[in-house]
Amino acid sequence: MVDRRSVLKIGAATVAGVVVKMPLSGRSLSAGRAQVVLHRAVFDDRFTECRDFAAELHSAGVFTSAIRGDVAKLWYDDLRVHLRENRLPVAGLTDRVALFCLEELARDVGMRVIFRADHVMDQDGHSQHTAAGTASLAARARDLPQAGFGRTTAVLLSEFDLSEPRDMAAQKLTGPFSPENKTALVTWLIA
Amino acid sequence: MVLPPNVSEADFNAALGEFRSAVGANWVFSSDEDVALYRDSYSINWGEPDERVASAAVASAKVEEVQQIVRVANRYRIPLYPISTGRNLTYGGSAPNMRGSVVVDLKRMNRILDVDEKRAFALVEPGVSYFDLYNHIRERNLKLMLDVPDPGWGSPMGNSLDHGAGYTMAAFRDHFSSHCGMEVVTPDGEVIRTGMGAVPNSDSWQDFYYGAGPSVDGLFAQSNFGIVTKMGFWLMPMPEAILSGTVTVPRHQDLDPLVYEVSYLEDLGLTGMPQYGSPVGRSAFGPGAAAMASLMQNGWPSAAAVENFVAAQKLPAWSVQLYFYGPEETVRGTWQAAKRRIGKAIAGATFQDGEFLTLPIPKEKEPTQSDKPRLGIPALEVFNMVARNAGNTTNPPDGHADLFVTIPRKAAALWESAHVLFEAYKELGLPAQQNPFPTPFTYYSRCFWTGTTVPTWRDPEKNARSRALFEKVMNRCAEHGWVGYRTSPAFQDLLISKYSFNNNSLLRFQEKLKDSIDPNGIISPGRYGIWPASMRKNRA
Repeated sequence: MVDRRSVLKIGAATVAGVVVKMPLSGRSLSAGRAQVVLHRAVFDDRFTECRDFAAELHSAGVFTSAIRGDVAKLWYDDLRVHLRENRLPVAGLTDRVALFCLEELARDVGMRVIFRADHVMDQDGHSQHTAAGTASLAARARDLPQAGFGRTTAVLLSEFDLSEPRDMAAQKLTGPFSPENKTALVTWLIA
Repeated sequence: MVLPPNVSEADFNAALGEFRSAVGANWVFSSDEDVALYRDSYSINWGEPDERVASAAVASAKVEEVQQIVRVANRYRIPLYPISTGRNLTYGGSAPNMRGSVVVDLKRMNRILDVDEKRAFALVEPGVSYFDLYNHIRERNLKLMLDVPDPGWGSPMGNSLDHGAGYTMAAFRDHFSSHCGMEVVTPDGEVIRTGMGAVPNSDSWQDFYYGAGPSVDGLFAQSNFGIVTKMGFWLMPMPEAILSGTVTVPRHQDLDPLVYEVSYLEDLGLTGMPQYGSPVGRSAFGPGAAAMASLMQNGWPSAAAVENFVAAQKLPAWSVQLYFYGPEETVRGTWQAAKRRIGKAIAGATFQDGEFLTLPIPKEKEPTQSDKPRLGIPALEVFNMVARNAGNTTNPPDGHADLFVTIPRKAAALWESAHVLFEAYKELGLPAQQNPFPTPFTYYSRCFWTGTTVPTWRDPEKNARSRALFEKVMNRCAEHGWVGYRTSPAFQDLLISKYSFNNNSLLRFQEKLKDSIDPNGIISPGRYGIWPASMRKNRA
């Protein structure tokens, strides 16, 4: 569930969250911009893009947690406990089901989805991206690459300024369902 | 900002101030983005003027705070809508029954007050989820088994009060009937305890349901007569083993004796929840799709045509998976008895031994265990199954509303209901999903549920079509005496109107109670059709 190397590296600091300062060279969207304190990055390790997303944030010192579909154990045994203590943002790249469940569960700690970028992938590997929520993130997420968007969205989230005015457009945007014969992944930020 | 009906902004703000005094400022939520957390994700009125959205939410931590909230609400005539965890999606979720209500979020009342292993019960507060109770039991190695719904993110209290059900033995999977004792804050702010809980110093609150005199517990389920703050539940002693076995029968008509034989076993308390299936029907989602389309192309087929179809498919018409809970000798013996009885009753029946598990299941094996709810393990995996259904389209819905109706526990009723649903869909010009191989839901052991699922959207036009379909099907089923047991707030008035014996005398009796117990109509106005007198004109 939790990446062991992250535990060793981050240690107790993870309870309070980790300030992300991404290595932006080579894929910088706007080098040197803001930092964000993330409590956790959640990823579904069945998908390459999700693993890339986690690797990018992990390399920046963010505590990562892997899931395979069901988020129940992660939420009830782990996240809920920490977020009740300290409501730091949680980022993720998962399928829609995981986000749907986490969004409903996050109400228990008074947190909500403030950004989401849906990546609907067909069987040929073609991806269609749509984004909603906090304006600066949503604007930049619409130009994501066909492949490799996991790393790009990780960088994007790392540059996010949490004090930016919120937009409720990402809240409860849709349900858990994926289009027929497609995979719907979502990059998200719950804060 | 949405205001409660007939409440001024000044009064509303004054009430919010008093709520803050009662529970602390951090636990009253009135900003738009906080209130939006309580929207029903599956709403069939999403974004429309009559979407049932809250005006605010208040989260109490103890019963005394609930009492204070109720008293404030009475002073300002603020409608309240209590939720425990608010996860009953398709039935309203965390959104109130009436637009503008203040949600009383009981998530902070999350204490497991007692779990008694030897007497096999638990006493919990509303915010305790099935996961919480399960973990509590496992961490202490208590030899108890939960009966959980699927998904398991709700609370025992909320699920039972909405007449939810699970997957194990009949005595436990009817969650309301397996409760024993409750504590309730009534609309005037009084606290009552039911059954033996009304006896000072009694240590039998969770042992004996009735106490003496009229039992009132049922008044607090699917209703608006109070806010339940504690509830006891009888739990299943952890069985030593669970064994499953699958029966198949060859002919379409074999469902009738199969239902009888399975019901015989279940009514004796020998099996858990039976899982009916149809290999022929299932094939229609794969290699048998063209054949099924051909069978249905000229309307509902005759019994002879159906039987010929089954023979041509070379698949069993029906299957049922049985689950046995108990000591190894007992479960193996009962499965043998089931084979003997069904084999004698139905020519060509086949039997396949299923998984044999000894309990407790080691913690490290839980994550990979299939069919967790059957084993009393709460999970959210059901979302993974439904989210990628074969029925999904290129533009999947945002949610769904479920319409399940109660029918007699017999094959003929199941077939007839499928036919009626088929015709209702056709009348609306929609592709009819039904065929002669429906499988029943068996959550409640003495009846079948059948029905349909209607998509919900963020698009008002599509939702209007879904509402029309839902109402059409509900009306058509009611003509046959098949009526739902639970529905989303959007359809509760319509549903309750079907329980119309003697000019709706049951509802009129409930309204008399409402007027007496809650004269200001502050608790969940409109829940399951019960409106306070001042709002009764709103009834559909």
